[in-house]
Order: sequence, then structure tokens, then C-alpha cells
Amino acid sequence: MSGRAFGLTFLSRYGFLVVFLGFFIFFATQSDAFLNTSNLVNILEGNTILLVAALGMTLVVASGGIDLSIGIAIDFGGWLAIVAMMDHDVAWPLAIVVGVIVGAAVGAFNSFLIVWLGVSPFLATLGTFFIGGSIQQIYTSGGGQVPFRQMPTGYQELATGETWGIPNEILIGAVVLFVFYVLLERSIYGKRIHAIGLQPSAAAVAGINVRAYLWMTFVVASATASVGGIISTAGLRQFTPLAGFSYLLDAIAAVFIGASMHPQQRPNVGGTLVGVLFLGMVSNGLNLMGLDFNFRDALEGLVLVGAIALAVSQRRLPGRVGSPA
Amino acid sequence: MATTADSNSNALVMSDISKAFPGVQALDNANLVVADREIHGLVGENGAGKSTIIKVLAGIYEADHGSVWVANEQLEQLTPQSVHERGVRFIHQELSLVPYFNVTESVFMAQEKQGVFGLATRKMRRQAEDFLANILGAEIDGRTLIRDLTVAQQKLVQIARALIDGQARLVVFDEPTAVLGAADINTLFGNIRELRNSGISIVYVSHYLSEITEICNRVTVFRNGVDVDTIHLGEEQVNGAGNVVSGAANGSVRQAEIIKLMVGREITDMYPESQATPANTVLEVDGLSDGIRFVDASFSVRAGEIVGLTGIIGSGREALVDSIYGQRRVSKGTLAVAGKPIKLRSPAQAVSAGLVLVPRDRRNDGLVLDMSVADNVNVATLEMVSSKLGWHRRQQAAQRADQLVEQLDVRPRRSDTIVRFLSGGNQQKVVLARWLTTDSKVFVLDQPTTGVDVGARSEIYALVAQLAAGGAGVLMSSNDLAEVLGICDRVLVMVRGRIVAERETSGLALDELVALTTGSALEGVEGVAS
Amino acid sequence: MTAVAPAPAPPSGSPPPPSGSADMAAQVARRVLYFAISRGPLVVFAALLVYLSLESEFFLEWRNIKSILRQSAPDAILASGLAVVVMAGGDDVVVGGIDISIPAAATMGVGLIADQLVGGTPLFWAYLLGALAILGVGVVNAFLVVYVKLTPLLATLATLVASVGMYKWAINNRRITVLENDFVNEVRDGDFLGLPIPALITLGTLVLVGGIAHRTRFGIRMQAVGGNRSAAEIAGLRPGGYVAASFILASFCGVIASIVLISRGSGISPGIEERLLVDMVLATFVGAAFSPRRVVTVPGAVAGAILVKALGNGFQLIQVDLFQIGMIKGVLILVVVASSALVGRLRQ
Repeated sequence: MSGRAFGLTFLSRYGFLVVFLGFFIFFATQSDAFLNTSNLVNILEGNTILLVAALGMTLVVASGGIDLSIGIAIDFGGWLAIVAMMDHDVAWPLAIVVGVIVGAAVGAFNSFLIVWLGVSPFLATLGTFFIGGSIQQIYTSGGGQVPFRQMPTGYQELATGETWGIPNEILIGAVVLFVFYVLLERSIYGKRIHAIGLQPSAAAVAGINVRAYLWMTFVVASATASVGGIISTAGLRQFTPLAGFSYLLDAIAAVFIGASMHPQQRPNVGGTLVGVLFLGMVSNGLNLMGLDFNFRDALEGLVLVGAIALAVSQRRLPGRVGSPA
Repeated sequence: MATTADSNSNALVMSDISKAFPGVQALDNANLVVADREIHGLVGENGAGKSTIIKVLAGIYEADHGSVWVANEQLEQLTPQSVHERGVRFIHQELSLVPYFNVTESVFMAQEKQGVFGLATRKMRRQAEDFLANILGAEIDGRTLIRDLTVAQQKLVQIARALIDGQARLVVFDEPTAVLGAADINTLFGNIRELRNSGISIVYVSHYLSEITEICNRVTVFRNGVDVDTIHLGEEQVNGAGNVVSGAANGSVRQAEIIKLMVGREITDMYPESQATPANTVLEVDGLSDGIRFVDASFSVRAGEIVGLTGIIGSGREALVDSIYGQRRVSKGTLAVAGKPIKLRSPAQAVSAGLVLVPRDRRNDGLVLDMSVADNVNVATLEMVSSKLGWHRRQQAAQRADQLVEQLDVRPRRSDTIVRFLSGGNQQKVVLARWLTTDSKVFVLDQPTTGVDVGARSEIYALVAQLAAGGAGVLMSSNDLAEVLGICDRVLVMVRGRIVAERETSGLALDELVALTTGSALEGVEGVAS
Repeated sequence: MTAVAPAPAPPSGSPPPPSGSADMAAQVARRVLYFAISRGPLVVFAALLVYLSLESEFFLEWRNIKSILRQSAPDAILASGLAVVVMAGGDDVVVGGIDISIPAAATMGVGLIADQLVGGTPLFWAYLLGALAILGVGVVNAFLVVYVKLTPLLATLATLVASVGMYKWAINNRRITVLENDFVNEVRDGDFLGLPIPALITLGTLVLVGGIAHRTRFGIRMQAVGGNRSAAEIAGLRPGGYVAASFILASFCGVIASIVLISRGSGISPGIEERLLVDMVLATFVGAAFSPRRVVTVPGAVAGAILVKALGNGFQLIQVDLFQIGMIKGVLILVVVASSALVGRLRQ
């Protein structure tokens, strides 16, 4: 492989990383505060919920689907964990379990629609999204916040505490990241999920229980997203209805940015992490540059468009043309 | 109608065509000459360059070198548009239809007729229906949706699309029969001869040499990117009844000749010797019905035995195979593998019971095309290359794949190649490799040699024989009757959803089997259907 | 196979060979089931409409119908645009055609127009500026999808975020009210030939966009590209052009929607794009139930938008909790898509 060819291969595969680094350096030159350890920790901490949601989404997209109801799982997980503690005096560790189970139940409803009824994931989860949003409005009188001032410290510390000097949020994010990496990239279950996502009929003929796997992906994705909701309620000491929706688009963006880095454009855990960090970094960096709040939003969108386009267009280089039929 | 090579007027001359892809010289000064009003066969193993030269003609690939004349007029630049304008049409192997378009829309796709108020829908419908009825002999309502047609009808729609404008002078058929049953093939051949008689030249690309010798006037054989020879197959004659009968009475001799040219060596024995010493029953199918496509199918397969299952399109053969593998619901009947009854609900259940399938649609059902050879080989048996908890041992997986690639001679010999880039024969070996080291008891092979070249084909036959010799039962579903006779010990024939005959293959003649599949020899059948 | 016995080839036009007569009953039962499931959603809609009209006398009054038509106009127009993109890109939303940026782009246009009108810019220039901005989003979408080859979902997601950011910045994330503008007020309140002007605009969009998509050579080719891309390529079509055109046509629908939207809201309040997005998607896919082939179409999308609004309106009239209407929408979409999924399964 010649040096030039190597360079092109490298660019085509890691184009987005180059973009990422470019932005990193740019922000570092624009604001002294950016490179501060505390700021970098802030970026990590502030994006844990997104990371967790995006990992769940990675699993679903890898299996060939999409989950628009990921926000509902986030909402319901945090909400019912709080309700369990507030109204039923459930101990906080158990409340977490309740939250995750409720999240899993949202996923199970999706699975029912998708696997049993055969509805396409996009439309099924859109339905779940409507229904879940409606339920929240009904029970919170139109979206009123549910504060929980006497939240147990243990629960609160999920978001605010530290262990071994590392913020708990980051630790939770790291654990979920590790579990997903092993699950999706290094275990045979992940191999099967990728096979299903690429070619469901071939996976079925190979004896993979496609239905069971699809069931599991939606359940696991929603359960994982609900962890994000639990962290969110712990940090705010309240539940804000319909707040989960705000993570949906970013989660999808992170997954697809990550997929654009893969040689076969597959969703992958490492790529999703890069995507989440990129979104977090840009938001943080623009913020530090002291730009107007509204202008920042606009710029963020443009950066997203530009960065993705740039990264993906790197693939259209010579040497990657399809081989002869 | 003299259709010899030395005739002055040629419909198509492609001379000294070269085309290289990175690492491959796909065409190396290749030639193809098609005379006016002839049916010209084009054969070669996969990778011999026949699809490349067709794509050069279609303007999809640009040749590095060489020239092309259509109707004695040189084409400076080949683009899909310019060859279309010269009356060159392609009937591709894939049907390439939109499932929810109707017949009219499909026939006129990309060549719609416009009236004063937008599309001239009614006019197009009339034309499409007339064309299908008069030229292709099929009464199809122009408003029928494609997804409601049979595959054979869809093929006709595809042909109608290529010919409806009446400008066609040279039509290239690429493996037109791959999706058809024997009866439909006969109808298609009639249509092709009609076209030829009306003055259109035909290029007929096929793996089925019997078809080549039956329908073609001449055949050009490709090997390693070069045309090694063009053989004269003799004139066709029109008999008293107006039917064209093949002049090549000694078709099998000619086929042997072609095969020799294709592979560069003589394949004396395509099919391995039968070594069947059938033991206990491994697959027992009893009274299976799905309520639509097949009724009351009962048969058994014993260990060490290769049982053929054949039948034309519409015979219910494919549906039966799907049901045996749990891909299709059944309404009645039972199925037992090695004496244990299994519920027919999913392929996963079939696999865990020891019944495995090599599917007919290799590219969609057999392989995950964007995964590597190693992943495809291991995908069904991942627990063999993992820890108890499911940690994927990549090295072990690669080793296992390398071994199988070596054993089956998959080319290239690299288990990290993406399967999409392998040839048909090598892809099929990958699918087979997947099940080899499992202790599966029953192998269901559904059209295992479709789109597979002659060389790989005989290797696959050897492998199948080896499986049977190793104590597995093989059920081989195929519409290639010569293949069924060659490799199977017994054959089951399906007609209209029922198994109407069960015969030992030794002593069974090809034409006898043809008669059975077309339902023209129903009396005296020792059928199992009640 | 040289000496093939003359086969009794069935005429190719005949239906697939029938199986045994024993299964006739099963087949009839299947037909009935098929019909019930395939027409199920329409039956459910009709039943709901009848129920609502029985429960509320006002529901079927012309005044109310006019209000439904007026309210549904933006959704119907946006859904027409989405329908075009879905038709050209295929209905697999993950890799096929989807454009989730249309409502955001339209909202951005509304923001710009409102801002300019309040600032005293003449009507024509204000609307032109808005239109160009919206069409610009369509061009960017087309570029990202066709040239950069992003999946439409990701590309339009990116332009959605950018559009929302742009307009929030442009209008400083505040509500802008346009009160003293005759044109805006006329579009909001006016009638013409007895029909509300937004309804007429919807009708115009249906005729124009629906006509292009379903009644022209361009439209049918665009559908071919969406229905089977490789088939279209083989037939000599260049899919990229059609896909690009679909995104631009969709943004054109966004332009029309912006005219209706600015009048309906008498200006702009930030955040309306999210509700518009979900309603647009809902209307488009619910609309597939109205198509004989059960695929997304422009008339179907318009009908879907009106139906969704009518049901919402009716439930409000009989005093169903506003919050439950989201639930009803969710169930509605599930009824439609589950039915079409089951039909697909039965057909096999």
C-alpha cells in the first residue's frame, strides 16, 4: 500500500475524527477555559444521558430499526422511579430497578408492535411516542413538573456524587458504554444483531432467532434509555414531563455520525461515543466562545450539517469504487 | 435464413474489447459477433467475462480498448442512451420491477406516453395489453399490480418493457430462465423464436447448457476474459406443425464440447458415484399442507441418502421447502427429524433440531453480503467460537473459517473478504461451509447450483455426496432435472401442490422425468398423495 | 433437455394454479379476513366520524367543517411534501425517503417573514425572502442526500437542527405578532367561493403537487425510483435527479405551508415545528390507508391530514381531555400501520 493510498484510506475511515480534532483545536484556541480539566469533565458529565440514550439507539439501529420513543423511555424511567419513592416509600435502589423495568416495558410495547404485529419500527415507535407523551400529559395535568424535594441522598448522588474522585454520572456512562461495547462488538450476540440488521432473512435462515433478538434489542434499548431518565431526575430533583424528546434527535445524530466512521457504515459503539462527544464538545465550545444563545443554536446546526457532510464526503475518494461484478 | 458467421450483415460486432478492474483483467481482447436474425448463445464460467462484455455493450462499463458495431455502424461512445437508440435491449436476470406498480406502468416505465392531460394512461394500457396478448401470448389486465402476478408473468412484463416501442433490433437475454419452471421455459423459448423470426437478433446468456443447445444457432464460449471459440449448433428447422425443433439432436455431445471449452479441460464425470447405503430415517414428513400451495406432502429421507424434489413453478415445491424449514406456516401435518417431532415455527427451531437449509435465494437468504467470509461461515454456529457467556473468540473464528475456506477451495483464500465480492459459486461454498462441521442430520439444499459455474458445480456435487456418505440425509430441491438424475438416489415429483411420483433415479430417463413434472404422465404413478 | 415432451403449458395469463378443493373454504375465509384487515382502518375512521357526529351536532355543521379544513391546511400541505419524498426515496424510513426538516424549514420561513413584515419590509419582499430560505433548505437536503450520500434521515435531521437554530436566532426566540397586515388576515379569515382560503390553498397544492407526482411522466418516474431503485437505473433513469427534485418539491410545499402558517398564528411562536413534524408524519403514513395500493400518495396524505384534524376536533367537541388526543393519534397510527403490516403478511 503506497503512502498516498494509505493516506486516503485513513481519511476515508477516520475523516470524522480529523474533523473532530480540528474543532477541538479550534475551540482550544478560542477560549482558555475550554481545555480546563473541569470543563472537559463537564462535557463528559453533561452528556451522560445523551450517551446512554444514544447507546440504546445504536443497538436498535444496528438491528435494522429505529426508536423514536427513546424519549418516552427516558421520561417514564425517571418519572416512575420518583413516583415509587414519593408515593410508595420504595427504597431508592429498588426505585432504580422500578424505573428500569418501566423503561423495559416501554421497549416491550414497541417489540410487541414490531415483532408481533409486524409494524415498521419507525411508525410503531412513533405511535408509542404519541401515546407515551399523552399519558404523561394526562397524569401531570398537561405537563406540570413533578418535584421531589425529599429525594433520598443515595438517589441524588447518582447524578451529583463522586466515587474515587470521579463523578458518578461519568462512571455510570462508562459502565453502560463498556457493557454495550462487549455486547455489540465483542460478543456473539452482537454479531447476530449486526447480521439481523444487515440481512434479516439471511440471519433467520442461518438459524438465528430473529424475533427473539428483535424483542430484546427494543427492550434493552428502552431500559438503557430509562437509566438516562433516572440520572436526569436525580440531578434536577424533579421530573419534567416530555423532557426526553430533546435527546431523540441528538441520539440519532450521534449514532449516524458513528456509523459514518465505520468502513461498512455500520452503527458501532465506539463511533457513537465519538458522535456524542462531538455534539457535546461543539455545544460546550460555542457556549464558551460567549456567543449569543440563539446564535449558538443556529451555529450548532450548521456545524452538524457541515461536519457530517465533510466526514462522509471523504468516502467518495478514488480507490473505494465497487469491485467488478 | 442463413445465420452463419460469414454472412455479411451482422447485428453486433464487438472486437478486441479489453477491460481491466483493479487487480483483474476482466476482458482481454475479447470478441463477440452476432449475425442478423440469429439466436446467439454466450456461455462461460463465472468470472469468464461474459457479464462484463454485456455491461460494456450496455454502456455501464467503459471499455479500455476495442470497438463496437451495431448493425454495421460503429458506435463511438457507448452510453445506455446511445445503445438504446440503436435498438439494443437488455432483459436482465433480475426482474427489476416495482411491486406496487401495475402492468401498464411497468411496461412503460421510463418510456411513458403523454397526452394532452398528463399521462396517456388508457392508451398505454391498451398498448401494453395488446403487446402481451399478441406478441407474448399472455392475457394480463394492464391494471394488475406486479406483486399479484406470478414470476413467469413478471418476466413477460419485463420483456414487454424492452420491446414495446418496436425499435428493438438486438435483444440480450441474461439468464432469463433462472426464475422459471420447465413449462414456462418452453413458452419463453417460443417467444424468443418468434422474436427472431420477426427479424430481431438475440444474445442468450445462460449457465444452462441444455438451453443453449436447444435454442441457439451459435454459441460463443468465454474463458478468462477471452472468447475461446464460437461453435455452430446447426440450423433450426420448422416442422410441419409450425414448431421449431432443434437441429442439434446430439445436444449432450455438444454440451460436453462446450463444457470442455469453458473449463479448459474435460469434465468426464460431473456427478459423483452414488454410494448410498441408506440407514435409518432422519426426516419424516407426514401429511404436510399449508392450505394454499401444497397439500398432503408425505415422504421420508434416510441417512446417507440424497432425495431429489422437483416440480415446475407453481408446483408448490418452493413453498414446501420453506415450510419444512419453518419459514412458512403449515395448516396440517407433522415433521420429525431423527424420530423426534419438531414444531414448524421458525428456522431457528429447525436448526436446533439438526435440520439445515441452503436457500435458493443465496444473495438474500443465504448470506449476509456485507459481512466477511469468516462471519458468514460462523454466523450459524457462533457458540462454537465463543466462551460460555458469549465472548466472541475472533482468532478461533478466523481459524475455523480459514480451515473451511481451504477445505472447500473458496477463492480468494481469504476469510476476511466481504462476501458480496465473491463469485456465485464461491458464495454458495460459503453457505455450505457454514453447516459442514455441525452435526446436522438433514441438509435441505434448495437450488444449490443456480448461477453457479460448471467447475464449482461439480465441486458442490462432490460435497453433497460426501455429506450423504458421512451419514446425513440430503433433500435436494431443484428444477434442473439433469442434476436431479445425476446426483439423487430417489426423486419426488410435485405437480400442482401434490407429490405425484416417487422414483428411484437409476434407470429413470430424463424425458420420463420431464413428463412427470409437467403432469403429462399421470397414469401409473405410484404417488404418495391420496 | 433436448427432447422436451410437449407440456400442457397453462396460459400465462391465468391465475396461479388452484390447490385442492378441500381448501376452498379456507381460501374464502382468507379473502374475508384479508378484506376486513385491509379495509379495517377506513372502517374504524368512518365509525369514529359517525360516532362523533352523533355525539356532537356541531361536528358536521358547515362552520365546523370549515374550521377543520382551515386548521388542517398546514399539515396537509407539509404532508404532501413528505409524501413526495417518501415516494421518491422508498418507504423504508431508516435508509429510504424521509424529510423531517420541512416543518422546521417552513417555521424558519414564517419567522423570517414575520420579522420582515414587522420591520416594515414590503409584503412581496418579505415573502420572497422566506420562500428562498425554505427552498434553500430543500437544496441543502438534496445536496446532502444525493451528492454527499447521507441517509435522508440524518441529512434532514441536520438541516432541521440548523433551521430551528437559524430562525430562533433571527427572531431572537420570541413571539412575533403580525396584526396589521391585510394579506395575512385575509388568508387567515377569508373565504372564497364559500371555502376558507387555506382550504383552497390546500386544494391548489393537492392539484399541483399531486398532479406532478401522480399524473406526469416525471412523477411516475420518481415513483419508479422510489419503488425499485435498481430497476429505475436499469431502465435508464438517474435516481439522483429524482430524489433531489423530491426534496426541492417538498421544500416548495414548505413555502406554501409558511404562507398559511403565518396567517394562522398571526405571526410566529417558537416551537410549533415539533408539533407540525409529528402531525405531518402521522398524516402522511395514515394517508397510505386511503390508497388502493396501500402506499404513500399525495391525495392520501392530504386526506390523512384532514382526517386527523377532524378526529381531534371532534374529540375536543365532545370534551375529551386535550391531553388524550395525543393518545388517540398514537392509537390511530398503530391501527393503520398494523393493518397494512398484517395485510402484507396475508398476501404472502
